[in-house]
Amino acid sequence: MSSVPKIHHRLGILFKRELFGLLVSPITYLVFTLFFFFRAFEVQTLIESFAGGGSPSRFAYYFLASPSTQFAVVVIPPILTMRLLAEEKRSGSLELLMTAPVRDWEVVVAKWGATWLLFALLWVPSFLQILVLMRPGYLGASLPMGQLFAGYLGLFLVGSLLLAVGLFTSSLTENVLLASLTSLLAGLGLLVVPPMLAEKLGGSSFSQLSVDSSIGQTLLAQFQVVRHLGSWFFRGLIDTGQLVFYASTTALFLFLTVRSLESRKWR
Amino acid sequence: MIEVRGLTKDYGSFRAVDDLSFQVKDGEVVGFLGPNGAGKTTTIRVLTGFHPASSGTVRINGYDVVQDSLLVRSTLGYLPEQIPLYGDLRVQEYLSYRAGLKGLGGKERRREVEAVMEAAGVTEMRRRLCSQVSRGYRQRVGLADALLGSPKLLVLDEPTSGLDPNQRRKVRDLVRSLKEQHTILFSSHILSDVEDVCDRILLIHRGKLRAAGTLDELNLELGGEELRFRVEAQSQEVAALMQELLPGVEGSLDEEKGWTRASYRIPPHASVDSEALSLTLGKAFFQKGRPLSELWIHRPSLEETFFALTQDREVAP
Repeated sequence: MSSVPKIHHRLGILFKRELFGLLVSPITYLVFTLFFFFRAFEVQTLIESFAGGGSPSRFAYYFLASPSTQFAVVVIPPILTMRLLAEEKRSGSLELLMTAPVRDWEVVVAKWGATWLLFALLWVPSFLQILVLMRPGYLGASLPMGQLFAGYLGLFLVGSLLLAVGLFTSSLTENVLLASLTSLLAGLGLLVVPPMLAEKLGGSSFSQLSVDSSIGQTLLAQFQVVRHLGSWFFRGLIDTGQLVFYASTTALFLFLTVRSLESRKWR
Repeated sequence: MIEVRGLTKDYGSFRAVDDLSFQVKDGEVVGFLGPNGAGKTTTIRVLTGFHPASSGTVRINGYDVVQDSLLVRSTLGYLPEQIPLYGDLRVQEYLSYRAGLKGLGGKERRREVEAVMEAAGVTEMRRRLCSQVSRGYRQRVGLADALLGSPKLLVLDEPTSGLDPNQRRKVRDLVRSLKEQHTILFSSHILSDVEDVCDRILLIHRGKLRAAGTLDELNLELGGEELRFRVEAQSQEVAALMQELLPGVEGSLDEEKGWTRASYRIPPHASVDSEALSLTLGKAFFQKGRPLSELWIHRPSLEETFFALTQDREVAP
């Protein structure tokens, strides 16, 4: 009788399979190409406008907070995750997968991990750009590495959350398109709704919110993803509260995905 | 090997499997037979741990399918009804991935993949993308997958459905060749396949077990064999002789131009040896100078049994 394989072995196999699946998908390359293309134009424009001199910190801020970054954070996670579970449900391969000796949560974590790695790969070229820009004769100034690190950290954290949201919506349906649109909406909602609510509720600006002590507004402040990025991470500030927020909401959505997979057992 | 007790599975208000109990012993090849929608696939999904039972227990190899789910899953090779292969992988890559999932690593993994490709006859398709293999080969790749890691138990859900006659025969031959090393639960609604491959049959209908046993036992259950003959004699004469040989059994007699066509159903559990009976009958008529022109023992085919047992009326136990 064969014994149950070890957990790291199972996770490794699942992770590799998902990564391979993403790497041979033409959609991945289409999205990456689009992103790199626009990013290149942006960075060029940015360099030209800073050619006459400007603070390296401002350059780093705009480098991080460009429109293509926003596009990447909101649009790419749903595209990477849409197929992962919806397709397995539609084709029926989920049955073969779940009757192999693997646990539901291992499948979810491996899938999320593979998309996360791919999402992280998106930023490798921009990191190379920074290295090039810091050479003498390019920007003529050294860039604040701490601020850039914080900025990337913020992007990865928001990405983690939206990838988990995308995986969750993918687990709800057999329809790939529906899965991607739902998670796109959820992502947009997360970015757009909290600032609007804050505006409506308090009539207060973001900066005032953080000093307001009412529970509702304190809670709301937790969900200000745009502000987390714009006022904190991109400026080089890391708040442990925000780290906890992203880690816990990502975990929450991964947990919900596992429960959604398990729901086949209660029906 | 498999021990199912009081298995019930409800989907909402629909009861797909109703108080099902059966056993499969080590080394048996058991046909799991029933019309479409009888609850075969549902039962199999409980066996493989994909769905839990609403009530009842299933033990495989002594392990509970819910409590020791991973252990059970690692000792079981499963071929689902639909075989959803990952279209972006080649056959060999797919099998290698599945072997990894089942805990095989390194050289053992490569060796095992080669072995199952050979056993299932897909070696020449190894470089083909899974999305591009024909239905027959899909089935074989699925079977190769089920064989990975030489599980003691193979659960095959409709392995021959949707195949052309040649492919069906090949899959049947393959399953027969696996008899030696594996216990097999072979679900199907294709009777000739079951008849061909299986030692024993479980027949379910509307979620209930309708009959279990070897084909002969099922036939007996249903009303037994029928003795049919044609003899040059008056019907009264035939009736009188048959009364001696098979007391209490009414046959149907048909007289025509001095010949009588007779048909006697041997009651089930009557412990009458039909072969011996036909010999005695032949001798008796011969001694009376009444020649027989036809004599045969009719055994109901599996198809007749299947039809009789899966009609909606309740069949007497």
